[in-house]
Amino acid sequence: MNRGHHAEKATGKGDPQCFKGEAGPAKFKVGDKVRIKDLPDVFYTRCQVYTRGTLATVVEVVYESPPAEDEAWDNTDNPQWFYSLVFRQKDLWPEYPDAYANDTLETELPEFWLESA
Amino acid sequence: MAKQHKPAPMVDEVSDFEVLELAVRELAIEKGLFSAEDHRRWTEYMHTLSPLPAARLVAKAWLDPEYKKLAVTDGVKASLEVGIDWINSMPTNFGTPSDYCNLRVLEDTPKLKHVVVCTLCSCYPRPILGQSPEWYRTPNYRRRLVRWPRQVLSEFGLQLSDDVEVRVEDSNQKSRFIVMPVRPEGTEGWSEEQLAGIVTRDCLIGVAVPKAGKTQNDKRPVHPAVHPVEHH
Repeated sequence: MNRGHHAEKATGKGDPQCFKGEAGPAKFKVGDKVRIKDLPDVFYTRCQVYTRGTLATVVEVVYESPPAEDEAWDNTDNPQWFYSLVFRQKDLWPEYPDAYANDTLETELPEFWLESA
Repeated sequence: MAKQHKPAPMVDEVSDFEVLELAVRELAIEKGLFSAEDHRRWTEYMHTLSPLPAARLVAKAWLDPEYKKLAVTDGVKASLEVGIDWINSMPTNFGTPSDYCNLRVLEDTPKLKHVVVCTLCSCYPRPILGQSPEWYRTPNYRRRLVRWPRQVLSEFGLQLSDDVEVRVEDSNQKSRFIVMPVRPEGTEGWSEEQLAGIVTRDCLIGVAVPKAGKTQNDKRPVHPAVHPVEHH
């Protein structure tokens, strides 16, 4: 087993830069409304539960990378696009005060967590 | 019988996680995944890091609109001008899994205030900001900031008016973030060095805003050890 394959790939390029060009066309673009899928997480995820089922807006198509859910198991076969998403705090937390209705939260997620909304 | 002299411990407390880290490190060295020498080089590299390059990046961007554009669109490239090469300068030459190479610089405006957290554990732009402060890694900060940002910021002494949009950046994938705050009043005509002096680590995380004359982070309470190292 080559435990160093990741380091070899990323040396001199950086990670996530070393996966550039491997994800194919991006499904979403800046301005798109998406909903975070409520998928089961098996053993490892970086998709916070507080975002599940919530609407968000794509603000940047950031980079290509295998999702953490695969990479945690050394699977780098399926890189995909990552998106920076902005949520309204009111959509995430029902009790968020109306006085601060403009407040937002931004985070990144890979494509497989997102569906068009 | 005279009491036997033992040297005083170097730390007040050793957590279970630190014991675990030590055990995993020793196993990794035994198995040859890396050497003790690799570990020493890495640790020494980590100790050379500080928030100064990030402060310089912000000060330069305040003074140079072209550089500001570069900082906001390509943080990794902008870092080169303040001496930080995210990709080639670390001992490994590829970053590390906990310091991926995608720096994003979040630009505040008078109506938009960014603040950074990693709710999963402690993602932090170490190459340009050094080691994260202890409070940044606590569950208290991580779980409360996303949900009650204004309350948490007010505990840091930062009161924001209703018409300012607070944007929490939950940093838990491969980008790393620093905040570029608004240049404060009273700094007209200042040099890059003077400006960098007021861009403290807390300003770069987003829990404080720069003020003319304020060059230190506020003191945070230090709690006594929960399980003190015992003197036998």
